[in-house]
Amino acid sequence: MNARDAILGRLRGAAPDAAQAAALLVAPERPAVDESALEAEFLARLALPSVSASHDAIDTIADLPAAIARYLDAQGEAPTLCLPPDPRLDPCDWRGFTLHDVAAPAEVAALAIARRGIAETGSLIFETSPAAPMLPNFLALHHIVLLATRDIAPYLEDAPLPGTQPRAHYWITGVSGTTDIEGTYVRGAHGPRFLHVILLRG
Amino acid sequence: MSGFDTRAAAALADSTLKTAVERTAGTAEAKRTLAVAAFPDFEAARTRAAAIKDHVIAHLGHYLEQFEANAIAAGAQVHWAATADEACRIVVDICRKANAKNVARSKSMLGEEIGLQHALAEAGIGRIETDLAEHIIQLADERPSHIIWPAMHKTREQVSALFKAKHRTPHEEDSIAAMAESARRELREQMLGADVGISGANFLIADTGAVCTVTNEGNAELSLVPPRVHIVTAGIEKIVPSMPHAVHMLRMLARSATGAALTQYTTFYTGPKRAHDRDGPEEMHIVLVDNGRTNMREEGLADMLRCIRCGACMNHCVVFRQIGGHAYGGTYPGPMGAVLTPALDGLAPNRDLVQACTLNGKCQEVCPVRIPLPTLLKGWREKSWREGLEPTSMRMGLGLWAWVARRPALYRLATGLALRAMRLLGRRGWIETLPLAGGWTRHRAMPRPAASSFMAQYRKERRP
Amino acid sequence: MTQQVALFVTCLVDLMRPRIGFAAIRALEAAGCDVIVPQGQTCCGQPALNSGDRDHAAALAKQTIAALEPYAAIIVPSGSCAGTIRCHYPEIFADDAQWLPRAQAVAAKTHEVMAYLDDVLGWKPDGVSLDATATYHDSCSGLRELGIKAQPRRLLKAVDGLKLAPLAGEETCCGFGGTFCVKYPAISNAIVGEKANAIDATGADLLLAGDLGCLMNMAGKLHRDGSTVRAFHAIELIAGMGDGPAIGEEP
Repeated sequence: MNARDAILGRLRGAAPDAAQAAALLVAPERPAVDESALEAEFLARLALPSVSASHDAIDTIADLPAAIARYLDAQGEAPTLCLPPDPRLDPCDWRGFTLHDVAAPAEVAALAIARRGIAETGSLIFETSPAAPMLPNFLALHHIVLLATRDIAPYLEDAPLPGTQPRAHYWITGVSGTTDIEGTYVRGAHGPRFLHVILLRG
Repeated sequence: MSGFDTRAAAALADSTLKTAVERTAGTAEAKRTLAVAAFPDFEAARTRAAAIKDHVIAHLGHYLEQFEANAIAAGAQVHWAATADEACRIVVDICRKANAKNVARSKSMLGEEIGLQHALAEAGIGRIETDLAEHIIQLADERPSHIIWPAMHKTREQVSALFKAKHRTPHEEDSIAAMAESARRELREQMLGADVGISGANFLIADTGAVCTVTNEGNAELSLVPPRVHIVTAGIEKIVPSMPHAVHMLRMLARSATGAALTQYTTFYTGPKRAHDRDGPEEMHIVLVDNGRTNMREEGLADMLRCIRCGACMNHCVVFRQIGGHAYGGTYPGPMGAVLTPALDGLAPNRDLVQACTLNGKCQEVCPVRIPLPTLLKGWREKSWREGLEPTSMRMGLGLWAWVARRPALYRLATGLALRAMRLLGRRGWIETLPLAGGWTRHRAMPRPAASSFMAQYRKERRP
Repeated sequence: MTQQVALFVTCLVDLMRPRIGFAAIRALEAAGCDVIVPQGQTCCGQPALNSGDRDHAAALAKQTIAALEPYAAIIVPSGSCAGTIRCHYPEIFADDAQWLPRAQAVAAKTHEVMAYLDDVLGWKPDGVSLDATATYHDSCSGLRELGIKAQPRRLLKAVDGLKLAPLAGEETCCGFGGTFCVKYPAISNAIVGEKANAIDATGADLLLAGDLGCLMNMAGKLHRDGSTVRAFHAIELIAGMGDGPAIGEEP
């Protein structure tokens, strides 16, 4: 007998009642979020030491390059950016930037567009697609994220989008950190050391 | 002395170990306490988490088949392994087919459990451990001592010396940040050059076929996105029905493990790279591993299958805090390890694990899925007793005690004589050395008993 | 109306420190109880139960049930022995149709003494005083099996002149663990060593707890370390017997 049959043979039983599985999700315990002030709630979580992201806000997508230039300049970095091939960025004028769309092993800064922001935790939700590669967001020292304020949702349950799942659906809640040496927190273990969120309020 | 006794004695004699364990476990304990206090109703959330896992374990076959069908529909290849050896063979075969010279591993306790690192070494396949702690363990050629902080037993001074000896361009400044930076430099290129990425799974989502990994370092993603092949090895108990179920478990896991509201990186992988995706592996393989889990389900250890590997039980265990993880001798230390290891590796060589516990119940109190760890340990103790694994002295001593205690008149006579004998050994209220109780008096004094028992005094005083 | 209660004195109190049994009687009587000491009692079987010796545990449980079941309430001056009867007797007889109802009936009316005085009777010591500073260790079984935490503190607060100093790690196991302390003496010693240091650091004169096993462990360690902290079962102070000899002192 193969392993599959051997294992499943010992686990046979009645199929679960779907209502039973759903009942386990009624009124979940979770941190309270003021749903009338999602942006403020999100920004408050973003500022927590465990997340420690900085943020800025713009009114139109055309303001994005200037906001990124401002951030990189303040960080003392050159205006070099790994940019996803996303048509939503078409209105941007990137003059003054050195752009590329394949991340280098020692990438300095990468931009990504979040599908959602989650107020409960200050998480940024991403999904892979031809227009949204994943690797740059982990290689870059500075992870810069564009998030439309209308995409901020209250709870982690709101993170997954319905329908067919993308190859990777991922939640980023802060920067790459480790406590592996004596429990002491260090930023930038393997991936980004800095997370900068640019809110699009338009 | 048993192997456990020897290892525990060595651990107790190692003051560096004590310092290291206290620094990490103490921090974890304090952070968890704050996180739990800030949560609206953690006790109800624990009950829900336990109910979710119980539901899955009761219908495990159904959810595994559902997961398998969805993972295959998403383009993943699903393999089943009844044993650790079979799981290793499957992984090695996939690596060979991919002509893999180097694999990048993202920390997985299941990988440790099945001995994957040895199987890869025997197959001549290079292995890069990408979790910082596992990297330390790999450089030191040691075993993990904790399921969340595998290098918990090492002090910063030891890590610093290790990196200086082994890294190509080690840190100069002796700070923890500089050490982490040294590891970042050392590991990044190696990760990007790996042929295969291997991970475990924190959760398998039945209704989407997704595999969830959580890390704070981001090493899972850096290990699993660049290579051509991603292999997941996962215990069959890792299933949850759907994403919202996973969300609840994730809230519990992060708070219980590190005291955070969520891990920094929480990723759900559904199949390999899609057409026109810019990155991701060409192949995704998921190896579903039993390795004793169906036995546990049938043999009274189903509650243990709730375990989400948060490590809270060991962080709060008075015994673990004194002897660290290596003394336990298995893949999994602390209270959860004391329950699991006999199931995985047999009771006879591990009988000490189920005895070396004060049954204080703290582990159960902090367990996010309410595993009755003391009860499960007592279940192992009963088996150990039934199978004659306990030492004759203990069997005879308890047997004699029970025999006498069941005869109240004889009990009063015998204990009265014993008290008188004991009193002869003491002076000024204390007994400093007591035959047959050297374990006690080696380290502490024994109060000298009263001249006569309560029952004797009571009869004398109260008799009308 | 006088409430008749049975005292299950526990083997450790019976043999090592009878004063705790008399203190329990004194407090219960002050609270208006008529205390009976059933003669058939010996050991509840906890050592056998925790060692996996189920047969002997069941035999001792049966004897204890038979001795105690005639009474309306059973009072125990030990969290771990009360916990054994309340929580574990019904487990022992889970598959025994004859003994399960008897075990459940006894379990339901068994109380740890301080929990009974406070929770059930709502009693407080009256006119009891002791000029001292005490620190309190929460013994694990009482704390986690029976929820004993606030009750002893409420009772002790009513002792005039007694100040309570908080103990760092008051809910951390002292390393006693029944047979654990003799099976793994070195580990137990490391645990109780830390506990003794924490107790000393409170600056208290007295160490109090609700379980004699834990108290003997901590007091024995404190004595060996040369500490001047004196140890009592909390019920001794509550009953107004805190001016007598502490554990390891002779009158």
